[in-house]
Amino acid sequence: MDISPVFFYSFAAVAIAFSGMVVLKKSPIASALSLVIVFFCFGGLYAMLDAHLVAALQILVYAGAIMVLFIFVIMLLNIDAPSLDTMRAGRLGRFMIIALSIGLLSLFIWAFKETTPPASVGAFTPQRIQEAGGNTRVLSELLFSEYILPFELTSVLLLGAIVGAVAIAKRRST
Amino acid sequence: MEGLQTIRPELLSISPEQLSALRPYFIIFGGTILAMILSVVRWMNPKWPLFILVLATLFAGIVDSFRLVPEAPLTLFNAMMISDGYSHLFNIVFMASAFFTVMASFRYLDREKLQYPEYYLLILFAVLGMMLMVSAQDLIVVFIALELMSLAVYTLVGFRRADRRSNEAAMKYFILGSAASAVFLYGSALLYGSTGTTGIKEILSFIQTHPTSMTPVYTLGAWLVILGFLFKVAAVPFHMWMPDVYEGAPTPITGFMTTGLKAAAFATLIRLLTSVGYGKGLSITLQAHLHDILWVSAVLTMILGNVVALTQTNLKRMLAYSSIAHTGYLIVGIIAGSGNEMGYGPVVMYLIAYAAMNLGAFIILTVLSSRDDSGLGLHDLSGLSRRHPWLAFGLAVFMFSMAGVPPTAGFAAKYVLFYSAVQANEIPLVIISVLCSAISVYYYLRVMVYMYMRDPSGSPSVNRIPVWSTLGIAAMVFLTLQLGLMPGKVVLAAKKVASSL
Repeated sequence: MDISPVFFYSFAAVAIAFSGMVVLKKSPIASALSLVIVFFCFGGLYAMLDAHLVAALQILVYAGAIMVLFIFVIMLLNIDAPSLDTMRAGRLGRFMIIALSIGLLSLFIWAFKETTPPASVGAFTPQRIQEAGGNTRVLSELLFSEYILPFELTSVLLLGAIVGAVAIAKRRST
Repeated sequence: MEGLQTIRPELLSISPEQLSALRPYFIIFGGTILAMILSVVRWMNPKWPLFILVLATLFAGIVDSFRLVPEAPLTLFNAMMISDGYSHLFNIVFMASAFFTVMASFRYLDREKLQYPEYYLLILFAVLGMMLMVSAQDLIVVFIALELMSLAVYTLVGFRRADRRSNEAAMKYFILGSAASAVFLYGSALLYGSTGTTGIKEILSFIQTHPTSMTPVYTLGAWLVILGFLFKVAAVPFHMWMPDVYEGAPTPITGFMTTGLKAAAFATLIRLLTSVGYGKGLSITLQAHLHDILWVSAVLTMILGNVVALTQTNLKRMLAYSSIAHTGYLIVGIIAGSGNEMGYGPVVMYLIAYAAMNLGAFIILTVLSSRDDSGLGLHDLSGLSRRHPWLAFGLAVFMFSMAGVPPTAGFAAKYVLFYSAVQANEIPLVIISVLCSAISVYYYLRVMVYMYMRDPSGSPSVNRIPVWSTLGIAAMVFLTLQLGLMPGKVVLAAKKVASSL
């Protein structure tokens, strides 16, 4: 499997640039919309890795559903840039945050540079997945056999989250 | 090359033994669903039936788990979960902690006008999350269970919606906790990337057979996974959230967090630490790194927790800092865990003892607090021995226990823990711990001075003590003294379950 370098670098560059925008933009809506672009770029990268289902889900779920939710929340809360200004860190704080981020980033770059990719390839190569009936089929079969416990637990988690949301949001008749 | 086999028939059925091992989880989940249905019926007030149902569920779960503790380990769901003595012993701790929290909450919720069914549901969800987390054998399951537990507790912390501090605490806890979860998740992704598996046991066996795969990325992943959990247990420097959250949360929930949540986080931390190869003599670098990180964190945690606790005048805040200090002792136990004959047994024992005494203390605080969780300053305790002699006696027992004075649970647990650290040749660490716990005697005893030697100030109100809370306090006093006088059985049980790790 080879990834076309042109596509890889363009997707990666756009993703990094827009991730920067998410952090740096002052208006929350602009940040959220930059995040959409980042999600699309990730979708492109997944597609190039032959993970078409994950790419499609990335677009549908993240760029679609979750982003809509984000924007809803931002609009409902009506946050504008000035109200966020009070939360900005002072000069020293900002300097420390930047230094810490750069330090962490260089630690990660160093770790990934020092690590050679593992020699053995896992069981799920694109070719074998093709033979077994394609991404969607393999994923769904795994989800309902090998990964049944996490899959079902996710529903319990969502149920718990709903109860929590009700507890916070319900109007009480007192 | 043979084709992929994605459906393995043996995974599609559950044997009777597996079903029986899963029964406590089903009991709690079934109880949750029943309680959910009960809380939406319109033809009656669900308050009493719900309370009884929740208590019955938890009680049934505890009884069932006792049956399972001595059973042989059994893996479930494609080895994503394990049912062994370790997980079931901790399940008992979680369920018992929830049981007594619910008991203490009943009248509290009445008083605060918060008697809503969601409160009990969320406690049950949190318990289910803890139980699954401690029995998980796979990083994915650990993560989902962690989120289940955390989401429920975030909401419980902010349950007093009309109160600013409660809201602030919930928000802080939610944001920082989500960040910690993200750190944990990223660490798991790195571990998966370097070993090709998310199974806890599989990661260990993979690095045992492929020593060269302990790359920097692997080490980074191991760190991040551990750091995510150090946040949950509030070890310094990840402790900043804790005092505010403990102070802002409803008092019974604070008790639940210091006992159940803390035990769950520590129990899982131990599983994860052993799984990334700590204490297995695999890689000198990894061993030294993790050891040093934990060492520094333990020392800072103990010193900061104890010293700051000295200056606190609010009981809830004082207990929050003392909880940080106890986290420090527990990390000492974890450091020593790989180098002594008891293994991680002392940590297990300490968590049980800590749960008993802290739960008791927080039930008493719940009873003593006046509306909106105020009236928990040290001055409000003045002359408590005359107003409520039995409450004062109970609180005195718990304070002595936390300070580590015999014949209480705290003494037995500390003794076993420090002894294991001496065996593991961590002498400087033991000296620091003992000095720190000497400092702690000051602030615990100060509570006693206020209760027994000061005259009541102002016009102290005499609270009515709910019968449920009385039962809870009595049980915890009994347990604290029992564990202190005859710790042998629990120490042995703890050693036994920890040896299977």
